[in-house]
Amino acid sequence: MRALRKLVLGETVALPVGVALVLAIGLALEALAGSWWEDDGGFVLLALVVAVLTVSLAPAHRRR
Amino acid sequence: MTAFVLTLVGAALAVGLELLEALAIVLAVGSTRRPRDAVIGAVGAVVLLAVVVVAVGPLLLARLPLEPLQVVIGTALLLFGLEWLRKGVLRLAGRRSPSNSFQEYLEEREALEGMDAPPPGRPDWPARIVAGKGVLLEGVEVVLIVAALGAGPDGLTPAVAGAALAVVIVIGVGLVLHRPLMRLPESHLKYAVGIVLSSFGVFFLGEGLSVAWPGGDAALLYVAGTLLAASWVQIATLSREPVAA
Repeated sequence: MRALRKLVLGETVALPVGVALVLAIGLALEALAGSWWEDDGGFVLLALVVAVLTVSLAPAHRRR
Repeated sequence: MTAFVLTLVGAALAVGLELLEALAIVLAVGSTRRPRDAVIGAVGAVVLLAVVVVAVGPLLLARLPLEPLQVVIGTALLLFGLEWLRKGVLRLAGRRSPSNSFQEYLEEREALEGMDAPPPGRPDWPARIVAGKGVLLEGVEVVLIVAALGAGPDGLTPAVAGAALAVVIVIGVGLVLHRPLMRLPESHLKYAVGIVLSSFGVFFLGEGLSVAWPGGDAALLYVAGTLLAASWVQIATLSREPVAA
């Protein structure tokens, strides 16, 4: 069970929660934003993913 | 062409590393218990996986329209890729022990040596279950990664070719036994897989959410470049920070 949980969620909840947020924001912007989403939405997604990676590594920075 | 090469390399690296981990477990079981039981456990897991893939795969592909499928696959690749990337950053910054299948092999052997062996002629179920579980868990990741990468613009061909290449290489490693396991730069390879899977994850998620990537498939290159740069900033910063005793 522990192995399955690790396989699905990984070692930190920051990543699954972060990816879920990226997905939710992407879906919302696709529905609400105008035509700019089609042209520039990819860069928004990329920036959000970089932010998720940074947040998931924050505990390592604090462990000084 | 960019997507084809990246898919092939990504699938070969990811599948190869997963198979190496499974191989380490099967070798550990085979060398501490009976090799026959290790092989029976591993083959049982492969058969179970194949049945699930053949039964569920075509059903999913036939029923789901392309864009929601891309969103699901992009999200799955991001979950896998970012986990590999996070661990890769921590390893390359010296905040986590380097990835080492040989070490896993030794640890698995040590755990198995503490278990009683069955009488001769009786099936060794603990050995079969340990080998089968290892192959099943790593195999699930292999199936998910190949299926996800196979949803790319070039279809399943580069992903399956990369996976086949990995199988041949890992079997070669297995035949020469554990010596090559010690020499592989696994931490760097896993970091590279993290970059490739995350890049495909961002790319597919964008496509599924109606994004028109400037440059088409070549967008994979600047997405990968951005993730590479962002993760190297993290590696450089973490390497400079002193670690608490």
